[in-house]
Amino acid sequence: MTEALSVSIEDYLEAIFHLVRENTVARSKDIAERLKVNRSSVTGMLQALRDRGLVNYERYGFVTLTDEGEKVASRVVRRHEALRDFMVHVLSIDEAEADKAACHMEHGVSSHIVERFTEFADFVKTCPRAGAKWVRGFGYRCEEAAVEPQNCERCIELCLEDVRKKPKKGTDGEMSIPLSELKPGEKAQIEKVAGEGAVKRRIRDMGVTTGSLVEVVRVAPLGDPIDVKIKGYHLSLRKEEAADISVKRVKA
Amino acid sequence: MKKPIMVALAGNPNSGKTTLFNNITGSRQHVGNYPGVTVEKKEGTCRHGERELKVVDLPGTYSLTAYSVEELVARNSIIDEKPDVVIDVVDASNLERNLYLGVQLLELGVPVVFAFNMSDVAKSRGLDFDLDTLALLLGAPIIPTVGNKNIGMRELLDAAVRVADAGQPVDALEINYGTDIERAIAAVRQQVQHHTDFVNDAEARWTAVKLLENDPEVAKQFFAPEVLETVGAEQARIEKLLGDTAEMIIADRRYGFISGVCRQAVRSTVEARRTRSDRIDEIVIHRFWGLPIFLGLMYLVFWLTFTVGTPPMDWIEGFFGWLGEFVGGWWPEGSESLLKSLLVDGIIGGVGGVLVFLPNILLLFLAIAVLEDSGYMARAAFMMDRLMNKIGLHGKSFIPMLTGFGCSIPGIMATRTLESRRDRLTTMLVLPLMSCGARLPIYALIIPAFFPEAWHAPMLWIIYMIGIVLAIVCAKLLRSTIFKGESVPFVMELPPYRVPTLKSVLIHMWERGGVYLKKAGTLILAISVLLWVMTSFPKPKDVDPNLSAEDQQAAELSYSIAGRIGHAMEPLIKPMGFDWRIGTAMIGAFAAKEVFVAQMGIVYSVGEADEESEPLRDKLRANYSPLAGFCIMLFMLISAPCMATIAVTKRESNSWKWALFQLVGLTLLAYGVTLVVYQVGSALGIGA
Repeated sequence: MTEALSVSIEDYLEAIFHLVRENTVARSKDIAERLKVNRSSVTGMLQALRDRGLVNYERYGFVTLTDEGEKVASRVVRRHEALRDFMVHVLSIDEAEADKAACHMEHGVSSHIVERFTEFADFVKTCPRAGAKWVRGFGYRCEEAAVEPQNCERCIELCLEDVRKKPKKGTDGEMSIPLSELKPGEKAQIEKVAGEGAVKRRIRDMGVTTGSLVEVVRVAPLGDPIDVKIKGYHLSLRKEEAADISVKRVKA
Repeated sequence: MKKPIMVALAGNPNSGKTTLFNNITGSRQHVGNYPGVTVEKKEGTCRHGERELKVVDLPGTYSLTAYSVEELVARNSIIDEKPDVVIDVVDASNLERNLYLGVQLLELGVPVVFAFNMSDVAKSRGLDFDLDTLALLLGAPIIPTVGNKNIGMRELLDAAVRVADAGQPVDALEINYGTDIERAIAAVRQQVQHHTDFVNDAEARWTAVKLLENDPEVAKQFFAPEVLETVGAEQARIEKLLGDTAEMIIADRRYGFISGVCRQAVRSTVEARRTRSDRIDEIVIHRFWGLPIFLGLMYLVFWLTFTVGTPPMDWIEGFFGWLGEFVGGWWPEGSESLLKSLLVDGIIGGVGGVLVFLPNILLLFLAIAVLEDSGYMARAAFMMDRLMNKIGLHGKSFIPMLTGFGCSIPGIMATRTLESRRDRLTTMLVLPLMSCGARLPIYALIIPAFFPEAWHAPMLWIIYMIGIVLAIVCAKLLRSTIFKGESVPFVMELPPYRVPTLKSVLIHMWERGGVYLKKAGTLILAISVLLWVMTSFPKPKDVDPNLSAEDQQAAELSYSIAGRIGHAMEPLIKPMGFDWRIGTAMIGAFAAKEVFVAQMGIVYSVGEADEESEPLRDKLRANYSPLAGFCIMLFMLISAPCMATIAVTKRESNSWKWALFQLVGLTLLAYGVTLVVYQVGSALGIGA
């Protein structure tokens, strides 16, 4: 099987792929609903797909993908996701709109071009001359329409500041580690608070916010919880909770 | 006469809010509960110049989200009761985190006055505030105060009256949350205003922020699917764009706003150094010394409670003894007057038996108040959390459990420090398994009666250990069944150490002691009379006058309701090795566990008996096997706690359901365990 699959075959495989992910099996009724086509055409197409060895299908039964079908479907899905991500992350396009556009584009572009899209998105994210902020800047520019030229100067200044502040590659200061792994006396800057719900919220409310400095003061005599200093006061956390807070070490 | 001003006192825990409240209202306080929840509601009044102020002390919270009962109560009473002014008590030495609540109050658009409390501590730490700039940036007056030295109260109340008189409306603080969030707020706000017609601009913005923050309470009010849909879409967009959930980013930005304000108006004149509090912690929660110091302190607390408490206990006992005799003296010698018996044996004996623990309870509460106000309690929880977490509880459960060895009542009352209701109820329910002081006389009577000298100490140890092990098992069981759920995070502030003020410690002690006294005067009095009726009625018609006084008493008890219940229970308790006499004594023991000993004295007609009574021990030896003796202790350890405990559980859990669950659950557990021990023991021929 190569590129020669028709548009609708790819759409079908993609739909089955998602349905199987969601409900472990796909029913022809769900496929019809998802693709907004009538049930009789689904039945016809499923037979065709079975003949090509892409799906397992009994009449009125459940549909699953064969190994070959799975391979083709995941290729389509990957292409779809790559395109959508590019539009959302690089072009700052609304997710629903991007999703719709990706549906149309995925059949028309070769995998070679899709690869380039993905690589470019990666490049934008990691290249020191671009980066996530740069991309966000583009989103901002699109939304705000007019951008004064003096803003560019200020923006460049900020970029330079960032570059100077950035620690050299290869030092351990670069690595993001969970707060629970810091030893007493070590200081760090908070990167992200994972976890969920009330616990996470509580931790934030207590001042554990992105960018704040935190110092592990001590570990309780029995080995848990830990006592950290943040925003000038002492806070105790269980290691289990501290594991959800990722930090970067800073030199004292 | 102008109308009284409603003042609400808000602030973080440990900000010195309660001290300020006590300063303002003095003894004119009223403590109650918020309806439906066991969050304490403290109200007081005060006169300031011409004006009358009604002050409500809101629960101490770090935020105004709706994640905990306290926060919800605080927020609702501000929104619903619309106080004329909210005083936000801020620990000035820990400004950023304290302002987090303050800023949320300002966002709510209520009139706020800030009390920068502990401004002396802040100054000694080298913090220099530009109060004018701060007040300007926050848009609310700021008054520096020192709560424990009573400084700044007049100025604070002046400002409060001024703000209250200026009247509403107040412009709500609008924090700029950044382009992306602001766009989301605008979108949601438009939807909110579109779907409700009563919301003004400021309220609509606040509602929009709260909806984006996933506030469950606010979300409940907006059922319009379009609103929630917009909220969902905006949240998804923000998460995509900024890499974190909207509520987290809003919290971040709020803190960002605060640190911006602080950068402009707070200067630190000295380098941050180790504070005195830090140096104390270096010793007190040291890796190696921390635990020994903790255990030593606990020992000291109990030693103080029980040794210092003994003389006043003797006085109280003496007083009730005297009172009983005095009242008894109104009747002629040997009178069989029912009224006399009711007054002397029922009421005076019953209430006296409960009041006798008052010195213990007050002292224990005094010690707990000192530990709490000084900041040590948080350290105790910090050190014990690992242990408690293993059985599914919180570090803060440790102190109540430990207190239970003295008396269950103060222990159950001490569970108030626990934030999660699940943790609180679990701790409360298993707490009576910590063998309390009143059970000691029972062990002291029985152990020497059945076991050789060398076995005395190990036997006592075994009994206490059984209690502890059962408590652990039950706690685990409860936490994995009816109180199943995410364990509460141990995200707790370790506040700086402070010297507690005498006033607040005494007020603390008295509040809790008062609850106990009130119980003794009402419910316990009623149960005492009921138990008296059960042990005195009906009277046998003709008692053989040739019998000795002791035998007559025994016959009367056997004939009474309690005695009959004892007889009736015999088939039920026989498999545990008990007879009707023990059953009868157990009914009396419901008033107070140690009554068991006296009741056994009566049924065995050995007259006045206490735990040192050799004649009673002889009787016990003659009638029961050592195994049965052990089973008595076991049953008394586990079974139905005394009526005062049940009453306190009812009060603290705010429902009869849990009190009865405790009563029935523990009694069934006692029955099961004792039954198995007796049957297996008998089968194996141990101690038969």
